[in-house]
Amino acid sequence: MRPFAYAAPASVPEALDALVAAGPDARFLAGGTTLYDLMKLGVEAPPAVVDVHRLPELAVVDTAGPDELVFGAGARMADVAEDPVLLRDYPMLAESLAKAASQQLRTMATVGGNLLQRTRCSYFRGGAPFACNKREPGSGCSALEGIDRAHAVLGTSDSCIATYAGDWAVALIALDAVVDVLGPDGARTVALADLHHEPGSHPERETTLAAGELILRIRVPTTRTARGSTYHKIRDRESYAFALASAATAVALDADGVVTDARIALGGVATRPWRAAAAERTLVGAPLTVDTARRAGEAALAGARPGRHNGFKIELAVRTVTDALRIAGERAVQ
Amino acid sequence: MSTETAPPSTVRVDARDKVTGTLRYGTDRVPPGMLHAALAVATVAKGRLVHLDTEAAAALPGVHLVLTHADADELTSGGFLLGGGYGFQSFQPLTGDRIAYRGQPIALVVADTLHVATEAAALVRAEYESEPGAFTLDAPGAEALVQSEAIPLPMFADVVAGDADGVLAEAATRPGAVVIDAVYDHPAQHQNPMELIGTVAEWRSAGDGGADILTVHEGTQNAGAVQHGVATQLGIDADRVEVISPSVGGGFGQKNSLQPQTALVAIAARRVGRPVKLVVPRTQVFHDSSFRPATRQHIRLAADGTGRMLAAVHEVDQQTSRHDLFPGTHTEITSRLYGIPNYRGLQRLVRTDVQTPGYMRAPYEHSAAFAFESAVDELAVALGQDPVELRLANDTDTDPVSGEPFSSRHLAECLRRGAERFGWARRTPEPGSMRADDGSRVGWGVAVGCYPGMAAPTAARVCAEPSGAVRVEVGAHEMGQGLRTAMVRTVAADLGIPAGDVTPAVGDTRALPHHLTAGSWGTAGALPAIALALAELRTALKVPEQGPVDVAAAVAATGRDSVEVEAVYTAPGQPPQVLDRLRAGLPAPGGPEHPGFVTFSWVAHFVEVRIEPTIHRIRVPRVVSVADCGRVASPTTAGSQLRGGVVWGISAALRESSEVDPRFGGFLNASLEEYPIAVNADIGEIDVDFIDTPDPMLNSLGVKGLGEVSMVGVAGAVANAVHHATGRRFRRLPIHLEDVL
Ligand SMILES: Cc1cc2nc3c(=O)[nH]c(=O)nc-3n(C[C@H](O)[C@H](O)[C@H](O)COP(=O)(O)OP(=O)(O)OC[C@H]3O[C@@H](n4cnc5c(N)ncnc54)[C@H](O)[C@@H]3O)c2cc1C
Ligand code: SF4
Repeated sequence: MRPFAYAAPASVPEALDALVAAGPDARFLAGGTTLYDLMKLGVEAPPAVVDVHRLPELAVVDTAGPDELVFGAGARMADVAEDPVLLRDYPMLAESLAKAASQQLRTMATVGGNLLQRTRCSYFRGGAPFACNKREPGSGCSALEGIDRAHAVLGTSDSCIATYAGDWAVALIALDAVVDVLGPDGARTVALADLHHEPGSHPERETTLAAGELILRIRVPTTRTARGSTYHKIRDRESYAFALASAATAVALDADGVVTDARIALGGVATRPWRAAAAERTLVGAPLTVDTARRAGEAALAGARPGRHNGFKIELAVRTVTDALRIAGERAVQ
Repeated sequence: MSTETAPPSTVRVDARDKVTGTLRYGTDRVPPGMLHAALAVATVAKGRLVHLDTEAAAALPGVHLVLTHADADELTSGGFLLGGGYGFQSFQPLTGDRIAYRGQPIALVVADTLHVATEAAALVRAEYESEPGAFTLDAPGAEALVQSEAIPLPMFADVVAGDADGVLAEAATRPGAVVIDAVYDHPAQHQNPMELIGTVAEWRSAGDGGADILTVHEGTQNAGAVQHGVATQLGIDADRVEVISPSVGGGFGQKNSLQPQTALVAIAARRVGRPVKLVVPRTQVFHDSSFRPATRQHIRLAADGTGRMLAAVHEVDQQTSRHDLFPGTHTEITSRLYGIPNYRGLQRLVRTDVQTPGYMRAPYEHSAAFAFESAVDELAVALGQDPVELRLANDTDTDPVSGEPFSSRHLAECLRRGAERFGWARRTPEPGSMRADDGSRVGWGVAVGCYPGMAAPTAARVCAEPSGAVRVEVGAHEMGQGLRTAMVRTVAADLGIPAGDVTPAVGDTRALPHHLTAGSWGTAGALPAIALALAELRTALKVPEQGPVDVAAAVAATGRDSVEVEAVYTAPGQPPQVLDRLRAGLPAPGGPEHPGFVTFSWVAHFVEVRIEPTIHRIRVPRVVSVADCGRVASPTTAGSQLRGGVVWGISAALRESSEVDPRFGGFLNASLEEYPIAVNADIGEIDVDFIDTPDPMLNSLGVKGLGEVSMVGVAGAVANAVHHATGRRFRRLPIHLEDVL
């Protein structure tokens, strides 16, 4: 780990100024559970960090409003996971946080920093001797011919097959969340669906955020559909592991059990938070059965591309969607 | 299980210190003026170092020293533990330009702070001449050797009894007879104790005009080897080296010998004239210390139509390094599990380009029992017999290899009692025939295990104070297995004094010579040594041979300030020369074949797996394990040992694998995040029980080992349960979700 400058400004405007002043490679620091980790591994080496972990403006959480849920970017994962409104009306959101990382990490980590966490690809994190286009653009991708069991089958490219590792963004994208950002050029709102890039030929470009843009808050339109929802996370052990496949699903059913609204997003199998809109469409107007659920799962994975060791993820993800829809259906208000 | 009558303080004497963080581990030591060290490691897996540029590292403010092979002329190898030396491997980094494995240290940096040292280590630039390497059993260039030829020592010879090949050939054509012929794969795995490998080294003047004294603080299971090994490496007398290791934060075999960093840190401390501390980071520990080698095991097993086992052949390919032959003794246990009259074992060693593998809890027995007990389950299925009944029908009191009696073998009772507690009678034999309420497929599997009953020379000292307090020291190590607790209980019970009056001490070469604590012989050596010392103490105190002692009065009556006695225990029939080995820091265990008898610990495990509908995750909600470890010396810690072994067995069966990318060598998932050890949420109910009948021959206290046998057979029971649930046989560990999808 190299020496770096550290600043802890007292307000959002000061933080923005501090970042600009610290130069183009400076970074915001929230819980540090991604950033410090990667700095210790030598994967990231910002000359300066600007700490926004304790800024009061970023800590606001409001889940009581009629139109939207608001999560300040600096809110802690552990706190949001226990929000009573989420637990009751948006179980997929609460579960996506509760099933992530460990309690210690969730206590440090923020819901804003979470969106920007980076892949867990061993070759990316491992440094030398592994080639990695994401770490060193143009150096090659060690995973393509390597141990790719944990890698993505959706949204991959010939340059990078790294999985987007987070859970929270997967649940958020299914609920049409947006992100308010503030930067040197002013404020704007980005749909979460537009926040992350697929790797394409530039895997090092992960988000559409401009240099110096700070995420202020995440907003989620309220919806009754989310009462019938779950975040189903399948992993190599029962906790403290990233998803092999996960599905954020929500369904609303009419009195006859016919689906009136469906939300499906996938984690653990794609290079970015993956909304499966086509899969949702197969469900709406149909009764929710094992067969229709499975068909939705198949639709969600329609374009999947297996690698050397991760082909199983396609069937696993289909089943994860199927099972997640069953759980969501059991919780759905009819 | 013995009922818990002891006061809470003796249930675990160091529990309070552990939960309050006051217990001190080796590298917790912070001497004044201490500097910090970090290692730079090789990024290629094999070849030669052609250029090492340390200029940038040395120029970093705060750096005191950059040690490379070019400077390390005062350093030699400490030798290989199994080749008459002290180290986990013979290869000592920084003694030449050879790169033997990826992750091998190439420089040690010493700086004011850990951060500076780490940064400087990252600035060390190396150029290599790379050579192709072999990292897996099948790789081109992996060289297979027959162990008995490569290491012509009786203890590593192949186990042979009767004519296994002849009987197998005959059985293959005999109507009604059944022959199982299958190959089982076990991956490389790493111990991953919480406490990392590390050393704090400090030098002080002896004040006698002689050489300085080196004090090494580190977590080790073998303070004697560290003491004598470092002395050898540095060319100084062993009495100039003190090793202090009061508590080991988990060893599991990884800390059972001299580590390569110890002498490097000692040299660095001598050069800079200040104490130096190095804690090897987790990723480097994956490459800088031993691990469980990958194995492939070919089993052939024949039985007649009634289920009587006639013959078995067990052939093992075990990974070793290019520079050392780490021998395997898998067949030592599979030849003893049953009364099989015709048995042939073959151990082969496969040289690959890794650091030398070594002992990891139940180092051979775990993978051997997985293979053999899977084969026995396959036999039960082929015969249409109940797997418990089949095992009971092949029980034996006599060791089929040596013809000697087992000193104690209550395996049948382990099986019967375990079956009873588990409810085995409700099992329906047909695979896939049992279902849980939620539709999960239920599988019930059984497997047994054993572990050699060894004992090692152990030194003990007991000192009675005028206050009535008693101090007890043993030349052994506390690795969390509960040795201190067992020591306190033994002394308190013998003298009839409160446990609070007994102070235990271990892990300090200034007090006594230390033997390696491993192979489950720690308690089985320490307690008999204490018993001998207590007998001496009674003589010295002139009190009766038995019964409670008023220690304060007895000490006062001697007119002395305190009364101190020493004793050394040796395994049955061991020659006096083993004491020389003990004093030289060399391993000298005896067993399992003792004069006139053979000793093993035994265990039976019953495992329930559930495979959920749709997604098919494999869960283990319930395990029942019953062990025969002789007398149970400390019920609470024994219970934890057995449960811990079961947890690890589940983890080994369903989770753990050290991944190798053959393009790079080394290990890919070298972190606690990526190496998936089972977590609490993976573990269900584990019900343990003990036969608790003293072994009449191994030692006066009737104790046999427990630490390792706890784990032996668990993986087999899990795999057998998965077969029962699915009808599919998995012969490669770990069994992953995708296997049963
Ligand atoms: C062992 C381990 C296991 C984990 N397991 C999981 C898991 O199972 N599921 C899961 O989802 N996650 C998991 N994580 C990831 C963890 O959730 C993220 O590291 C965490 O959410 C990041 O939040 P943070 O506040 O610590 O971010 P930081 O590390 O402080 O920052 C992360 C990135 O976001 C940027 N950033 C932070 N805040 C802002 C902001 N307001 N505006 C703009 N940029 C910002 C930083 O500059 C940095 O680039 C795991 C992490 C670890 C270490
Ligand atoms: S998959 Fe992506 S992150 Fe991983 S090595 Fe390839 S380029 Fe790097």
